Amino acid sequence: MSLPTARQADLVPQQRRPKNQFWLSSIGFVAPGVLLVAVVLYLPFLWTTYISFTEYNGLGDPEFIGIENYRDMFADPAFLNSVLNTLYWVVGTIALPVGLGLLIAVLSHGLPNATLFRLPFLIPYALSGVAVGVIWSFVLQTNGALSQALEFFNLPGSELRWLLDAPLNTFVMIGASTWQGAGVNALLFGIGLQSIPKEPLEAARVDGASGFTLFRTMTWPMLAPLTTVVVGLSIVGSLKTFDIIWGMTKGGPGRVSETLALTMYKETFVNNAYGLGAAVALFLTVVTVLASILYLRRQLAHSRSI
Amino acid sequence: MRKKTTLAAAVLTAAALTLAACSGGGDGDNGDGGEGGDPTEAVLSFYTDKAAWEPSFDDMNAASEGTTATLDFTGYSDPTAYDAFIKQSFRTDDKPDLFTWHTGDSLAQLVEEGLVAPTTEIWDAAIANGDVTEELAENYTFEGEQYCVPLNVVYWVMYYNKAVFAENGIEVPTTWEEFMAAGQTLVDNGQVPLHQMNIIFEFVWFQAILAGLDPDAYNGLSDGSVSYTDPVVVEAMNIWHDMQSDGFFIDPGVTTDPQTLLQTGEVAMAYFGTFFTGQLTDLGMVSDTDYGIFTLPNVSADLDDTSVVVETGPLCVGAGSANEAAALDYSAWWMGVDAQSAWSESRGDVSFNPGATVTDTALATVTEQVNGDGFLQLRRYLEATPTPIYTVASEQFGAFVTNNGDPMAVLEAIQAEADAYWAEN
Repeated sequence: MSLPTARQADLVPQQRRPKNQFWLSSIGFVAPGVLLVAVVLYLPFLWTTYISFTEYNGLGDPEFIGIENYRDMFADPAFLNSVLNTLYWVVGTIALPVGLGLLIAVLSHGLPNATLFRLPFLIPYALSGVAVGVIWSFVLQTNGALSQALEFFNLPGSELRWLLDAPLNTFVMIGASTWQGAGVNALLFGIGLQSIPKEPLEAARVDGASGFTLFRTMTWPMLAPLTTVVVGLSIVGSLKTFDIIWGMTKGGPGRVSETLALTMYKETFVNNAYGLGAAVALFLTVVTVLASILYLRRQLAHSRSI
Repeated sequence: MRKKTTLAAAVLTAAALTLAACSGGGDGDNGDGGEGGDPTEAVLSFYTDKAAWEPSFDDMNAASEGTTATLDFTGYSDPTAYDAFIKQSFRTDDKPDLFTWHTGDSLAQLVEEGLVAPTTEIWDAAIANGDVTEELAENYTFEGEQYCVPLNVVYWVMYYNKAVFAENGIEVPTTWEEFMAAGQTLVDNGQVPLHQMNIIFEFVWFQAILAGLDPDAYNGLSDGSVSYTDPVVVEAMNIWHDMQSDGFFIDPGVTTDPQTLLQTGEVAMAYFGTFFTGQLTDLGMVSDTDYGIFTLPNVSADLDDTSVVVETGPLCVGAGSANEAAALDYSAWWMGVDAQSAWSESRGDVSFNPGATVTDTALATVTEQVNGDGFLQLRRYLEATPTPIYTVASEQFGAFVTNNGDPMAVLEAIQAEADAYWAEN
């Protein structure tokens, strides 16, 4: 009896493959991985979905209440404000950390020792979001470093209550997030710029393109695949923003600077309304997945058409 | 044959991995303090959200040696994560023997689910022995039975910077008028009189003013017999509003620690629980030298007793835990004079046991005062208020501290939630 060849073992792809003699054992090998994914990913999702239709305080048994949590959620002005703040974060994160990252990458591209230029922007990325929040709350608190500096230089704005008034507090927190996140986007765009073939750019230069025209007509389209990834990651990241806000305002004063991720956390673990928290979690998941699918579909379709 | 061997290997691998994943970390060590065991030999699994207090619990292990069980300490520094952990632990076979918790609605939920062991016999003996007051027992009583024992007790009093008072020629106020006059003097001299926060403790000035204006109304809010829009509650809010308008409080955007603000004199006074003494001591401030303590005078001069807000946190025994009997024995020991004197010395804090020795003279004076005649102890607003109402109230008070908006709008928003809550409960 000889060992089966690859073709005999049906390892070579075929159409309508019949079950081979190893199909049963292969299930055994795959099962641990499938079980792991089912237990740590699918089951929690299904459980959260179920909990969102119940009243549950984390003790005893959940009580089924239908769509009441969803009704309460959409009727709560604080939730709607949380949606608005999340929208600010999505727009702000795309405009600032991504835009600034691109600017840093483009300006430093081709410079001697470009890494040294980009490195300072990358250092904040090594900090945790909560640490960034704590540092920036020292700067932005009333009579904090920023207000004192503005007052010292007789500049306007020293009287502003950066972390107390909405939506100003959300905007300055997006600023803190930009401080942390722009560097890594610059790094990614820098890699993208390095991977662009030189020949088309040279040809464009010969044709007279330079400066912003060269960037707009040649560099930017060729960066598109990487931009898709960076923007896609930023959208998902901004939709679930939590740590910086938790470190700076905890969603307050009151609930004015909450985002959906904070609302989910506070309803679940602070207010012990696990059902309502699960409803917010599910809403956030649907929004994140939908946004990602819509964006990636559009971008990938656009890339294919180029 | 080969096929069968492969299949068997695959199935065994899968089964082994699944079993390994599903098997818990519990080693089944129940200690020796289970039913009928010697409690002094038992090691209790003890959980708390007061991670920074580990040295004090080490001291208590030294104090309990040979008398009762010892504690195997696990501390959490994030209260929210801790609460979730304790709740989850009751869904497993590895229930905590002993753990710290919160009075009010949070404890009621555990009692309702039968998750904590009753301690009525321990309380009866302690009250008979004079180790604890009957008033304190109310925080732990549900349908006539007591659950858990007090871990600690905190009296909410006024801390003041002695140097700032001396510089401004201010004496410790004994009436509300004197208190307001002192505040005005400080404002006139460019000194911020009072500390307050727009998170965590945003409710405390509502609590302080209403308790000193009408303690019956304050209590009535916690059982729904009084509305947040009743005239006396509105009056309390208006007093708070006026104090904010008159510059009595520090800007809530200043997030510097309150103990630092009091030490540096950026605020002259801070209304806090007696746990604040430990925070001031950590900064090197000396009681009765650098800072003093006084009980806040009543807003209404017509009241016979001065209202003092009391906060207490429970030490609970997990029902059906591995060392339940030993944990109950430990709870009984904890209530006694020896344990409480050791605790008070280690923490530098007050004790619920009137017989315990409190080393800090200022705290000892406060303890004697508030437990004597002429004082009325009231539950802290956080524990006295049903959770859904408190959730809305803390948001509303946080916004009120920040923006000093319309008091009536704040009260109406809280009352809307209270109406919904009391309609169902």
